[in-house]
Amino acid sequence: MTGATLFQWVLASLPEIIVITGACILLILGQLVRQGQEQLLVWASVAIVLIAALATLMLAGEVRPAYTGMFIADRFAVFFKFVFYLATVLTFLLSRKYADIEGIGSSEYYVLLLFALSGMMIMASATDLLSIYVGLELMVLCTYVLTGFLRRERRSNEAALKYVILGAVSTGIFLYGVSLVYGLTGTTQLDAMAAAVTGDPRDPGLLLAVVFIVAGLVFKVGAVPFHMWVPDVYEGAPTTITAFMSVGPKAAGFAVILRVFLNPLVAASDVWIIVAVIAVVTMALGSFVALVQDNFKRLLAYSSIAHAGFATFGVVAGGADGIASVMLYLLIYAFMNLGIFGAVIMMRNGDFSGEVIEDYAGFAKSHPGLALLMLLYLFSLAGIPPTAGFFAKFYVLVALVERGFVFLAVIAVLLSAVAAYFYIRIVMVIYMREPERTFDPALTPLVRATLACTAAGTIGIGLFPGWFLRLAQHSAFGG
Amino acid sequence: MTFPLLSLVVFVPAAGAAVLLFLRNDDAVRWTALGFTVVDFALSVAMLVGFDTTTHEMQFTETRPWVPALGITYALGVDGISALFVFLTALLGWICVLASWVAIDRKVKEFMVSLLSMQALMLGVFCALDLFLFYVFWEAMLIPMYLIIGVWGGDGRVYAAFKFFLYTLAGSLLFLIGVIVLYFHGGETFDILALTAQDLPFRIQSWLFFAFLIAFAVKVPMVPVHTWLPDAHVQAPTAGSIILAGVLLKMGAYGFLRFSLPMLPEASVYYSTLMLALSALAIVYGGFLALAQDDLKKLVAYSSISHMGFVTMGIFALNPRGLEGGILQMFNHGVTTGALFLFVGLIYERTHTRSIADYGGLMKVAPVYTVFLALFTLSSMALPGTNSFVGELLVLSGGFAANLAVGAVAILGALLGAAYLLGMYRKVALGPASVGARYKIRDVNAREMAAILPLAVFVLWLGLYPKPFLNVIDASVKHLLTQVHGKGSGQ
Repeated sequence: MTGATLFQWVLASLPEIIVITGACILLILGQLVRQGQEQLLVWASVAIVLIAALATLMLAGEVRPAYTGMFIADRFAVFFKFVFYLATVLTFLLSRKYADIEGIGSSEYYVLLLFALSGMMIMASATDLLSIYVGLELMVLCTYVLTGFLRRERRSNEAALKYVILGAVSTGIFLYGVSLVYGLTGTTQLDAMAAAVTGDPRDPGLLLAVVFIVAGLVFKVGAVPFHMWVPDVYEGAPTTITAFMSVGPKAAGFAVILRVFLNPLVAASDVWIIVAVIAVVTMALGSFVALVQDNFKRLLAYSSIAHAGFATFGVVAGGADGIASVMLYLLIYAFMNLGIFGAVIMMRNGDFSGEVIEDYAGFAKSHPGLALLMLLYLFSLAGIPPTAGFFAKFYVLVALVERGFVFLAVIAVLLSAVAAYFYIRIVMVIYMREPERTFDPALTPLVRATLACTAAGTIGIGLFPGWFLRLAQHSAFGG
Repeated sequence: MTFPLLSLVVFVPAAGAAVLLFLRNDDAVRWTALGFTVVDFALSVAMLVGFDTTTHEMQFTETRPWVPALGITYALGVDGISALFVFLTALLGWICVLASWVAIDRKVKEFMVSLLSMQALMLGVFCALDLFLFYVFWEAMLIPMYLIIGVWGGDGRVYAAFKFFLYTLAGSLLFLIGVIVLYFHGGETFDILALTAQDLPFRIQSWLFFAFLIAFAVKVPMVPVHTWLPDAHVQAPTAGSIILAGVLLKMGAYGFLRFSLPMLPEASVYYSTLMLALSALAIVYGGFLALAQDDLKKLVAYSSISHMGFVTMGIFALNPRGLEGGILQMFNHGVTTGALFLFVGLIYERTHTRSIADYGGLMKVAPVYTVFLALFTLSSMALPGTNSFVGELLVLSGGFAANLAVGAVAILGALLGAAYLLGMYRKVALGPASVGARYKIRDVNAREMAAILPLAVFVLWLGLYPKPFLNVIDASVKHLLTQVHGKGSGQ
């Protein structure tokens, strides 16, 4: 290995190196930050992510494979990394005040988020089942800890424990699949795997391996039947972490799923049938169970399961448009979901939790502007034009119909009509009830900035989707 | 570049809604909303004045790329059919503002914002020449309408708003799938005119016909997917009812005219008997239900179902008289039923009851009100000399030509219409004055008169001299029929 190749490799993974180094430095220097100065932590973390984003942007010009086929910095990865940056930065902004209220404002919180970010970035760039595994574990280990960050709260502890146990099992399943692949093909590299298989791609051993790998990955995006952890973890975790997890790690999971599914080996086996079933069942379960939720966070947990199902339809469609549709969906979902979570986080003030939907009764009367924003996010999640949520769903449907899956498209829209019910039910509570209490949302400038950014994304992509669509297509084709 | 008149027509109300957000005073909100809607009406009149009635081509067209990667454009344009409804929507716009002047006394700003955004979206639906754009306008209407019914409606408003929302959403989502299928079969374009020129295989046409039918039938509404309408109408505030009856119901029928007929001609011909039967069912069923109502608003709502049955019957008669009558009847129904809802709203503001049993002898306390009510009631039952007579006569003669049995059933429906409308009028307006004792009823004032008069003018104008209106739609109807039969079964 020459110095020049090493330099190229470092260059390819420069954003990851920046984030990890920054996190390590913050881990040490964070101890020196005095009480009352926590905003320094926020700014330092945001700065680290922005520097990494800058590096990503500057290196986005060409495809850079590195570490002997373990890693690649291509446009596909760049797109996902920007979704992660967006999710992480907005989580930092939302966390400042919330961390104060909950008493979790120590530097570890920010450091763990940064490590989780680096894990997600590695997942997006990984081209080898082992490097995927490394990224995956780095990410989930951090989120296990973050889930249990409300140390004095039972729910939070319970959620963390459940998450660790179920997560460990799913990781084990994933690793088992990897070992099977290695036994059958002699390699764990995605490209080499496909080349190594000369016989029938429907070999039962191979199929079993693929199913195990899919099962392990599907757990991370919270799709049925590996969704059991989602509602408990979403409800128990600090709301900022829930917001983060519903967007970042989910997108990272989809990045890996897409990367694996781009692989001709998987594409040749009939695994798409399994994925189609998963998509239908996931969406159905998420939509129907969300109908009866009273807790806002649980409802959003089931809503996120339903959205994972819808995005999985894009995976089923496959092809360039299918991949691009999943990517666009995740980007748009990041905006609208962080927006609605921002509103829930903002409501947490004093002894008011803002976790029960009925708590929002008549919110529109005293805070018409904020209510309008929530209306925007909710209708976007429901997929009503002219919001971005509609275009996200529309493009997935286009990809499905393009591949001839009209029947799946019909199922998808019927289930999203079911899902619309619980979103507009919240709108009803906000707009059509009389207020029973006075509201005092924790509306700091940082929270305002987050809401403004997510609202701009939700309505902006909805009205002018052209540029974002091209970006997603361009990134998918470059994959 | 030409002057973007249609963009202005569509977006002036939207701009008005944006301006309203910054106002604080309720009266300022009302006057500003009125100002914007009147300007919009003036623009629509300007459009009609500049409209060339000799051609079926789209006029005032504007095209701009929107999402080039999927071939989506921002394309607007009107032909004779849509021009008529752009005009109707703009007319009802300021009438709705007047109708809500005192009826809406809380969250006035939010209401007017919803109303104006609603108007912009409805105008967009009639002007859109791109299927994607059409769908965005069509579906986005759910948001303001959901709020109008749910926030400012009556006691059962939440249930009614949900029902309206979910019914319409479920219907239009299947339409969306149809649109995407059409996109791939029609050469990856959303351009409505290009898609119309496609010749699709019959099997595809059939599927699409039913996907479209579900969406449009819910909006019209046709029996058996009509059950959201009485709830929505009864609970909605007056302006909401006027919009629903005047414009929203027309969109389903407009969908048939713009998409089902020209894009799926063979399927339209093939299934026309089914559609005629459903129309006849709606006419009679709606009529019987209206006969049994005690609630004034419910009565008008069920009469709407019956009247819209005439519209769909005219459309699927697939002959010139039926089609012209159907389109004319769409316009008439917007004017007449809009007016009837306005009248129910006016009297409800005074007495806070809509039960027919509570009324009687209104003639003695509010003579002007009852005289105009008589005019619109007679118009609704299609008395010669009023607008609906012209439309209904054309529809019936078209219907008879298409299918004798259906025509005969429709005649029965017309009789039913006379029965429930005259019965309602007798109980409310004539007889001893039972109302005046309990309520203080004042006659219509100048503001209310301003809302009533234009509608009355159209009732008589269309009834006595319908030629200008027929002229506007004539070329487009002829073209539509050549599209249906030229490519169809060769009738």
